[in-house]
Amino acid sequence: MENIIEIKNITKCFPGIIANNNISLEIRRGEIYALLGENGAGKSTLMNLLFGLYEPDSGQIFLRGEPVNISSPAFASSLSIGMVHQHFRLVEEFTIAENIVLGTETIKRFLGILPYVDMKTVSKKISELSKSYGLDVDPDMKVSQASVSVRQRAEILKMLYREAEILIFDEPTAMLAPQEIDYLLQIMKNLREQGKTIILITHKLNEVKHIADRCGILNRGNLVGVYDVADTSVEKMAAYMVGRELEDEKPPSKHDFGEVILDVKNLSVSKQGTSCVNDVSFCVRAGEVFAVAGVDGNGQIELADAIFGLLEATGGSITLLGQDITNAATRERVETGMSYVPEDRHSVGLILDFLLQQNLALRRYYQKPFSKHGILNDSIFESFADGLIDKYDIRCGRGAVTVTRSMSGGNQQKAIVAREIEKDSKLMIFVQPTRGLDIGAIRAIHEHIMNVRAEGHAIFLISMELDEITVLADTIGVMYEGRINRIAPASELTTDEIGEYMMGVKT
Amino acid sequence: MDTVLIDGLSYALPLLCIAIGGIYSERSGIINLALEGLLGAGAFVGALFVAFFGGLFAQHSSIPMYFAFLFAMIGGAVFAMLHGLLCVKFRANQVISCVVINILAIALTGFFTRQINSQVFNQPSDRINLGVSIRFDIPYLSDIPFIGAAFQRVYPFQIIIIAVVIFSWYLLYKTRFGMRIRACGDNPHAVDGAGISVAKTRFIAVMISGALAGLGGMSYAYSIAASFSPGIYMGAGFLAIAALIFGNWRIMPTVGACLLFGFARSGGQRLAHILELPVSFSDLIIMLPYVVTLLLLIFFSKSNRAPRALGEIYDKGKR
Repeated sequence: MENIIEIKNITKCFPGIIANNNISLEIRRGEIYALLGENGAGKSTLMNLLFGLYEPDSGQIFLRGEPVNISSPAFASSLSIGMVHQHFRLVEEFTIAENIVLGTETIKRFLGILPYVDMKTVSKKISELSKSYGLDVDPDMKVSQASVSVRQRAEILKMLYREAEILIFDEPTAMLAPQEIDYLLQIMKNLREQGKTIILITHKLNEVKHIADRCGILNRGNLVGVYDVADTSVEKMAAYMVGRELEDEKPPSKHDFGEVILDVKNLSVSKQGTSCVNDVSFCVRAGEVFAVAGVDGNGQIELADAIFGLLEATGGSITLLGQDITNAATRERVETGMSYVPEDRHSVGLILDFLLQQNLALRRYYQKPFSKHGILNDSIFESFADGLIDKYDIRCGRGAVTVTRSMSGGNQQKAIVAREIEKDSKLMIFVQPTRGLDIGAIRAIHEHIMNVRAEGHAIFLISMELDEITVLADTIGVMYEGRINRIAPASELTTDEIGEYMMGVKT
Repeated sequence: MDTVLIDGLSYALPLLCIAIGGIYSERSGIINLALEGLLGAGAFVGALFVAFFGGLFAQHSSIPMYFAFLFAMIGGAVFAMLHGLLCVKFRANQVISCVVINILAIALTGFFTRQINSQVFNQPSDRINLGVSIRFDIPYLSDIPFIGAAFQRVYPFQIIIIAVVIFSWYLLYKTRFGMRIRACGDNPHAVDGAGISVAKTRFIAVMISGALAGLGGMSYAYSIAASFSPGIYMGAGFLAIAALIFGNWRIMPTVGACLLFGFARSGGQRLAHILELPVSFSDLIIMLPYVVTLLLLIFFSKSNRAPRALGEIYDKGKR
């Protein structure tokens, strides 16, 4: 089959980092080409070059055999290249149809003079388009009311409406639930059948194995190689991606737990007037990983927020190291001995426009030696940050003085984990610690969690990934509709059983 | 009762015109707290036309007034380009740009009014007299009992402004350009991705904002103030901002908010008149709409939703 895209010797540098180093690859018409790599390997940069968001420092892109300089997304779109970004580009107050036509509106004239945007015809056309590719989208729905999965399909329709032939997906499954992922993969297959070329940026190997024809693997800005997916095992791909062989993760070894660190009794929490956590009781002991399993939205996040003091408890008590902290301020809880890796790393975990060294010191900036009499000592911040960057393998363009916003998601998460573990608290709360991360980063974070467990810390883990829970947990609590319906040692619960409690089949 | 209705409308409609101007700018994502300065700058340019060329027309002709409205809109739009330039091109902090424009407008118009009066017309004064616009009754409608007063002693600018409001509703919600303005204020990345220039759209929106503020300011100069003087800066620009925020950045609720403020003011004045309060208390009455604003904002601010990208400096690379 002919090559639709040829990328030749592309190099792109950002301050302090070579995002793409002399990369050459070809993509064939009508295939699903996966671009694999860890967080920060340069996949997104390469595709942004193809989509006209950046321009390469050197090298040339050929489209259908012709050399092209793609200078803007609009030009890329005129070359029938479309892209679904990780962060959707949708106007929330518009309907899906309005979003799709933005920039290519059909104009009709009222009474032959007054021009107006004709939404009726468009809406019908989008409905038909949506049906023909098996996308279930209501064009007249407001985006602000649409779920993540529907928004993503709206983005796909946007490309199809512009008659894109080359569709780029940037980590499309990161925010989706399992059933939604299957649905999306099916849509991609439909698109391929209808002759579209798909480039899939991802770090999820199972998806690659499931639908891709070929995959190119990037590691730290370099192209490691291009492989036929059918002949390459998932383990091999993982090894190429990370740059070393990965060992299987071992479940935690059994050992005795110490004293009770966190004791939660009959805790109830409500958020914006609706009750999210109902009469929950459990305790976490030293050296124990207590994991809460559950489908997203069953009150787990609120439970963690209440323990950390971000939400008020409406009933019950929370005791940390024998001290009643039910109504204590968050800083008081932190100083008593609590660490917290929040679910939402952007709004709760980090101050994105601060430097990495400042973010790493957020738990201690007001203490000696970071500040004396209220005056901050920058060199202490820097040396502290350098230590953590080294220890936790945080990759950042300018070291301690990198602006946190410019770092990749995985490295931002590593920074939070580093900060919270380094606090050395007796209780450590991890909420979705590995969401959206690649295998290498996930393994590293799991290793850190296992290490602090071995040191005798109590760990309270919340995860929507059952795999993560079975790998890490000593004790599992399953949450459904605000209640923990079952608490048992991990060894006594099968995956199926956990699933049944999660779905509310068993209570 | 009739005076309350008549005065209320003649105050509320220019306020509405200014507020609609603010909506254009803010819906495109550019904060516009500079309406006060823009309405003054616009009215100044309009008044300047009358001062220089008013003599060319017959003595009681209304034609110079219509020219003044036109020039006020041009003046407002040109002055607003400064705000557009600072915020869109140079990515300055939008609030600071607004403050600068307000101060600059007050200082410049005051300075030039004095200079022109003393140098050109040889009479040192800080005002350009314009007189009060003609008023008329709308036939038939003004005869309706009770609400008919709304159609009595109407200023011509009130009709112009109503047309502007209807046209703005059409422009913002039905046309391609309006869609793009609203998209810029919600998610400029989406606009950029669709191949439309965010900068251009925002710049034009800010200019329209200035033009409408100028029209509103000129209306006050031809009614309440009967002149252009630093007295034109009486806070209408800020009240218009309160009205559009209270109106949730949407045209119809903003109409309601402006009418409420207008009647709060005229009702207050009527009250002061009935109670035979001394003139020095009128300041307290003028304060009334602001007090109403304050109270309303306390109760309604929960349901308030600003354009999502309002005040955000558009930067392609930002994640």
